[in-house]
Amino acid sequence: MSEPSIFFSEVNERQGVFTRRTFLMGGVAGLGLTALGGQLLRLQVIEAQRYQKLSASNQFNFRLVPPPRGLILDRNGVILAANRPNFRLLVSRDEMDDVNTTLDNLAKLVPMDATRLARLKKDVARAPKKSPVSVMEDMTWEEFSRVNIRAPELPGVTADMGEVRVYPFGGAFAHVIGYVAKVSEADVKKAGPDPDPLLLNPGFRIGKQGVEKARDLDLRGKPGAQKMEVDAEGRVVRLDPLGDKPSTPGKEIRLSIDADIQNRALEVMGEESGSIVMMDCRNGDILCMVSAPSFDANRFVKGLSGAEYKALATYERLPLLDKAQYGLYPPGSTFKPTVAMAALEAGVDPESRVNCGGGWTWGGRTWRCWKKGGHGSQTMHDAIKNSCDIYFYQTALKIGPDPIAKAALAFGYGQIYDIGIPGQRKGIVPSTAWKKAANVKNPANQIWFPGESPSYGIGQGALQVNALQLAVMCSRLANGKKALNPRLIKSIGGVEQPPGDAAPDLPFTPEHIAYVQGGMKAVANDTSGTAYRQSQLGLGDVMMAGKTGTAQVRSYDKVASRNSASVQWKLKDHNLYIAFAPYDAPRYAIAVIVEHGGLGGATAGAPRAREVMRTALLKDPEIRARITQTTNLPDANAGDVEGAAPEGVDAAAAPDAPINPGDLTPPPPAPTGDSPR
Amino acid sequence: MTVSALTRPGERDRLIVKFGEIDWTFCLVLCLLAGAGGLMQFSIAGSSWTPWAAPHLLRFGLFFALMIGLALVDLRVWFAAAYPVYLVGLVLLVAVDVFGHSALGAQRWLSLGPIRIQPSEIMKIGLVLAIARYYHGLSSESARFSWRLIVPVLMILIPVGLVAKQPDLGTAVLIAATGGAMMVLGGLSMRVIAVGVVGAICAIPPAILFILKPYQRDRILTFMHPEHDPSGVGYHILQSKIALGSGGLLGKGFGLGTQSQLNFLPEKQTDFIFATLAEEFGFIGCFSILFLYGAVIFMALRIASTSHSHFGRLGAAGVTATFALYVLINGAMVMGMAPVVGVPMPLLSYGGTVMLTVLIGFGLVQSVRVHRYTEVTSGKGSLL
Repeated sequence: MSEPSIFFSEVNERQGVFTRRTFLMGGVAGLGLTALGGQLLRLQVIEAQRYQKLSASNQFNFRLVPPPRGLILDRNGVILAANRPNFRLLVSRDEMDDVNTTLDNLAKLVPMDATRLARLKKDVARAPKKSPVSVMEDMTWEEFSRVNIRAPELPGVTADMGEVRVYPFGGAFAHVIGYVAKVSEADVKKAGPDPDPLLLNPGFRIGKQGVEKARDLDLRGKPGAQKMEVDAEGRVVRLDPLGDKPSTPGKEIRLSIDADIQNRALEVMGEESGSIVMMDCRNGDILCMVSAPSFDANRFVKGLSGAEYKALATYERLPLLDKAQYGLYPPGSTFKPTVAMAALEAGVDPESRVNCGGGWTWGGRTWRCWKKGGHGSQTMHDAIKNSCDIYFYQTALKIGPDPIAKAALAFGYGQIYDIGIPGQRKGIVPSTAWKKAANVKNPANQIWFPGESPSYGIGQGALQVNALQLAVMCSRLANGKKALNPRLIKSIGGVEQPPGDAAPDLPFTPEHIAYVQGGMKAVANDTSGTAYRQSQLGLGDVMMAGKTGTAQVRSYDKVASRNSASVQWKLKDHNLYIAFAPYDAPRYAIAVIVEHGGLGGATAGAPRAREVMRTALLKDPEIRARITQTTNLPDANAGDVEGAAPEGVDAAAAPDAPINPGDLTPPPPAPTGDSPR
Repeated sequence: MTVSALTRPGERDRLIVKFGEIDWTFCLVLCLLAGAGGLMQFSIAGSSWTPWAAPHLLRFGLFFALMIGLALVDLRVWFAAAYPVYLVGLVLLVAVDVFGHSALGAQRWLSLGPIRIQPSEIMKIGLVLAIARYYHGLSSESARFSWRLIVPVLMILIPVGLVAKQPDLGTAVLIAATGGAMMVLGGLSMRVIAVGVVGAICAIPPAILFILKPYQRDRILTFMHPEHDPSGVGYHILQSKIALGSGGLLGKGFGLGTQSQLNFLPEKQTDFIFATLAEEFGFIGCFSILFLYGAVIFMALRIASTSHSHFGRLGAAGVTATFALYVLINGAMVMGMAPVVGVPMPLLSYGGTVMLTVLIGFGLVQSVRVHRYTEVTSGKGSLL
């Protein structure tokens, strides 16, 4: 204050600097605000759409809505596989603070034993976060509501309603339809790098066998989506039904199977192990395809316990195996019509006779007929009717293996049919070419030994067929014209599948076919036929033609009796029967295999074939009309003792396995002799 | 009132005259900003006055009255209080280090009975007052570059160090930047400024690597690539940008911001309130708010430059610098241009402490305007 001028100039200079610096600061602040405005412009005007999309994907979530699985129906619309509501319990790890405590609490509310609880804890711990694990299916309403009430104490546990597959007939269709079961890691891997989101949906079931597996994608459908608004924690705030995408239900599959026939077939199998296949011999539709014993497919949907599975897997009658397609058997005497056809085509005169004295010595050994005393002089017709082994030994030797193989292949043996489900085995039709190919490593065995031919003639030796092929053979013979293919799946989603009669003609002369058919008619209807009594349908003039067979499963030593009741089950012969009806205008063809059913196709096979055939015929309205018009019922006394006598009586005469192969018989596989009927 | 009336001795000390001298346009802009804040608090609570909107507006009313009261306080009283306020702030900062309550891993609070004090906020005002006081007695020669500048440098570094130790990185940066800005305004040599800026830029990478705590480092590193870590630290930035961008030109509408309503936005009522506003009112709304902030800064700087005392000039400009830094740092953070540092948007964000600081500061600014002709006793460069 003492030097005002200096003071003021000093002050003025400070003020000047300050004012300039204030402009600078204002400028910097203005620049900063402009930069903010610029960024706003970029975010809110230029890139707005991109962020609007991001915002929407934050706001909305889509919950997968699983589609209902397609139904599986029989040919008449009977439901074979359906869906029913299922109360289930899910646990997801993400929301749970302490999984184990929660699960322990849960175990107090719903029945759950210690081992299950332990397994569950492991499953939950292993599952990816946020992906719910199915804890329990098929809860009762009481259990469901009990868990719902306690929901606040059970974080991460949800009880909801889903759908579960149900097979109303339990086991009758288990091998055809198969079943669905939990998705395995392998299933997900197989689906490729971008699997259907359904596979990861809890409670989803994937087809594991049969039609369910082969047609899984058709049955599965397309998932829908439920649109909902969620908050940052993923809680549902609001549903948005307008944004929902409906699911596409799976396609409906209609099988050619007739549920009544299938059920009857499983019923008649009883405790036996084996298979019954019936086809419509006009168009190739499979009407029944049973493998016995069966199992309840519904158990697999729920998830089988270890003990249950072990019991099924280790039972000696192999319920899990589809014997109709996978089981291979020597056809035994059911092969004789095929050999007869081959002989006729090769120019053998059916009326030229062969004398059967019960045995035939050739090639250093005696080839025995099943009938100890022999059949006497036999034409081809007689030989089929009586199932005379000696006739077919000699005929097969005369024409050689290749014409037989040709006829067998024409009848449908030795091939896999595309019936829409997996699990078929091709079997073996021996021929000179086959021998060559099968014994590449053993050149000494590559030639066809003449000693193999007689066995081939009676359906033994290396020959192996499955029940489906037997039914196809019988259908083709009964049809007489077309080389029918079997059809199992009638339509998928309303689209008719190609029929089985879109096939080439059989390469046989019609007279020859009629001749062989006549032989089979005699088997079932001549009082001296091998299955006369067992083949009487009791349906007026609607009659059945058939052919019995016994497939030997082992070599017999001289001591053991083949038909004794004391023989262990596993060592008994397989019992086969093929048949078609009505023989004057064939509609249905059937093949029955009873594993270890004992000697003679008439004992175990024919009565079962008859019962199933009756069911099919009685369901057919045209056949029923024909029966009711018929007045001349079969004479109740016509049944004669000879035909009715069980075939197996003389079976002890079956020859031994070649003891001395000599120079004509080959090293193994050796024909194990006959057993046929 | 004529100019001649104001020149009459004693006339300017009459309360009613002082009242009229307050910049009421400035006050109106503050009310508009706080009102917009209240509106957003109302919206994000799901159209409810609780828990945020009502307290926000109530506090603003209370602190606004305080600001008017402080505007009437003679600038010489402010001058006299400058060093004591600074010292109290310093003592409390030390105290908080020793006795403080920690919130979210940082010791920032001090409880005095029912009142919770955040000493770093007192320091924001205290530092502005103390530096203005010191520069008031400093010649322009010394302010350019001399040993006397050691005092303001220490004045700045001591509280910055204490706050950074809490740790409260955002406030520390804010205090340091405010102090720096005041030294620049005081007339620091341009050459020194250039050296300082270059030095600061060079110091950033080693500071990030060695001095910062891991979470602080994460915040800064993810700021650069937020998309690399959408669920971790980058989540906040990303969600904020989504909120802003999805607002578009006109916004989603009042109460219809999905990002904020569904909790995708973090700290939606405090640090990220601007993103909420941007989502619901779009570019137009944001631009208007930024314009109002610009107006506040412009008016405050004009007030500073009209003061006849150097203390008044630097005090008002210092407060303005703090305010502008708040706006710029928060804006840049919300828009993904700066790391997430926890600096709120003044007057918009919910929270009493910052609002109190800002309005006390503006009380000083208004007091500078009201007392722009007041002679403040000069004390040359002495602390007491």
